[in-house]
Amino acid sequence: MMMQFIYALPMAIVVLGAILLMLLSNSKITLNRLNLISVAILTLSLILQFVLFGEKESTYLFSSIFGNTFILDDFSAIFDVMFTLGAILTLLINNDYFKSREYFAGEYFSLILFSVFGMMILAHAHELVTTFIGLEIASLSIYALVAYHKTRTISTEAMMKYIVLGSMTGAFYMLGTALIYGAVGSTSFTEIAAYIHSHDLSNITVLIVGASFIMITIMFKIGAVPLHAWVLDVYHGAPYPITMFMASTFKIGIFAVALRLYLVMFAPINSFWSEILQVITILTLLGGSWLAINQTLVKRMLASSSIVHTGYLLIAISSIGLGSDLAAPAVMFYLIAYFLSSVGSFGILSFIASKKKKQMTYDDFKGFAQRRPYMAIMMSIFMLSLAGFPSTIGFLGKFYIFTAAIESGQILLAGLGIATAFISVYYYFKLIAMMYFYESDETQKKFPVGISTVLIVIISLIVIWGGIGTSLIPFVPGADGFMNFASQAISSLK
Amino acid sequence: MSPNAFYLLASLLFSIGLVGLVSRKNLFVLYMSIELMLSAVSLLLATLSKVLGEAGGSVISLLIIGVIASEAAVFLAMIINLYRSKKTLDSDRFNALREGARND
Repeated sequence: MMMQFIYALPMAIVVLGAILLMLLSNSKITLNRLNLISVAILTLSLILQFVLFGEKESTYLFSSIFGNTFILDDFSAIFDVMFTLGAILTLLINNDYFKSREYFAGEYFSLILFSVFGMMILAHAHELVTTFIGLEIASLSIYALVAYHKTRTISTEAMMKYIVLGSMTGAFYMLGTALIYGAVGSTSFTEIAAYIHSHDLSNITVLIVGASFIMITIMFKIGAVPLHAWVLDVYHGAPYPITMFMASTFKIGIFAVALRLYLVMFAPINSFWSEILQVITILTLLGGSWLAINQTLVKRMLASSSIVHTGYLLIAISSIGLGSDLAAPAVMFYLIAYFLSSVGSFGILSFIASKKKKQMTYDDFKGFAQRRPYMAIMMSIFMLSLAGFPSTIGFLGKFYIFTAAIESGQILLAGLGIATAFISVYYYFKLIAMMYFYESDETQKKFPVGISTVLIVIISLIVIWGGIGTSLIPFVPGADGFMNFASQAISSLK
Repeated sequence: MSPNAFYLLASLLFSIGLVGLVSRKNLFVLYMSIELMLSAVSLLLATLSKVLGEAGGSVISLLIIGVIASEAAVFLAMIINLYRSKKTLDSDRFNALREGARND
C-alpha cells in the first residue's frame, strides 16, 4: 500500500501543484515567480519519475480502490517523462513571450499543469471511461488555453472551432464506449481483449462499430486528413506557447492512447482497419502537403506540416497491424524526433514574436541570417530535421518508420512517404532560402542570452546529436539505445 | 419492458443532436445539440446497464453528466466572450481566421 502511494506521487504532485497554482493565481506573485514555481513542481515530478523508473513490474495502481483502471508500466513511464519534459520546455522557452503580452495571468500555469495531468491519465488509463476522463481533462484545459487572449476575436474563434468539433467527437467516443460496453459488459481493456480473442470476427459487429467510433475520435484529435479542418485555424489562433504545447506534447498524449488501444485491446481486429487506415494515411500525407505548400504564414505552414508528420506516424501505426515489430518503437522514436524539432522551431517563432507583435510570414524572414545569424542557423537545423535531412534526428525517425513500413510489406505507403518527404523539402527549404538568400538593411543584432535562447541552442544540439551522435560519442546511448528502450516498453504492455 | 424502445429513443436523440450540430448556426443550439448527443449516450448506457444487470453502465452515465457539466462551464464562458466581441451568436460571422489575419 505504501509503495503504491509512492508510485502515485509523480501524478499527485502535478495535480496538487495545479491546484496550488490555481489558488496562487490571484495573488500578487509575479508571473516570473509563478513560472518558476510551476517548473519546480514539474521538475520534482520528473525527478521522481526517474527515480521510480524501472523499479516496478507492471502493476495496477490501488487496484482495491480504482479497480483495474490505472496501470503503471514502462510504457506509461516513458510517456510521462515526455509530457513533463514537454511542459517544462514549453514554460521555459516562452519565458520571454508571456512577459511581452499583458493578457497572460496566473491561470495559464495552472491550466498547463492540469492538461499535463490529463495526459498522464491518458497514458496510464487501462479502461475506456478513464481514457475519456483523461482526454477531457487535457482537452478542456487546452480549449481554455487556446482562447487565452480574451480580447482578440480570432483567438476565441479558434477555440469555438476546436470545442464544437472536439465535443462532437467526444460524444462519438462515448457512443463507441457504450456500444462496446453493451457487447462485452465491461469497459476494461483486459476484458475487452479477452472477449475479442474468444469470439469470431463475424460475431462481434457491435464491438467493431464501437471501436471504429473510438478510432474516429483519435483520428480527429491527431488531425488526420478527413478530420483535419480544425488544425490550421486552431494552431493559427492560439498564442505561440499553446500552439507549441498542442503540436508537440498533446499530440504525443493522443498517440500514447492510440498505441495502447492498438497494441493491447484491438490487436486481434487490426486487420479490419488496415485498409481504412491505409486510405487515411494516403489522404493525410497528400492533403497535408497540399495545405503546407499553399501557406504564407510560417505558423500555418508548421501547422499543416504537423498534419504531414501525423501521416508519417500513421504509416507506422498501420504497419503495427501487419506484424512489424519495429513499428511501435518507431512511432515512439518519431514522436520524440518531431517533438524536439517542433518545440525548437515554435520556440524561435515565439522568441521573434515576443519582439514583434504580428504573425510572421515567409517574407518577414528575408535577411534574417544577417540580422540574427545564430538564430538562423538553429532555425535551419530544425527545418532540416523536420524535412528529414540526414545527420539530424528527423532523418532517423523517418528511417525507422519507412523500414517498418517495408518490413510489413506496405511498399506503396513507404514510397508515398518518401515522395512527401521530398515535397516537404520545398516548404521547409523555402524558409531557409528566405533567411540566407536575401540582403537585410538592418545591422546584426547581438545574440540575446536568456533562458529561452539557451534552451533552444541545447535542443538544436540534441537534434544534431540524435542524428549522428550514436557513432560519434562512444558509451553514450544514442538513437539505438532509445529504440531498445522503446521496444522494451512496448513488450511490457499487457 | 422491452429495451428496444429505449434503444430507438437513444438513437433518435443522438441523430437529432448530430443533425442539429451540422445544420444550425446559433452557438447555443450547437451547444445544446452536443449535450443532446451526450445525453443520448447516457440513456443508452443506463439501458444497457439494466439489460446486462450490472451497475457499471449507470455509473458511467453519472460520470458523463459530470463531464457535460464541466464542458458547459467552458462552452458558456466562450459564448459570452464571443457575444461581447461581435454582439452576435451566429457562428458564420466568426470567420476572421484565414491567411490574412496577421495581427497578434
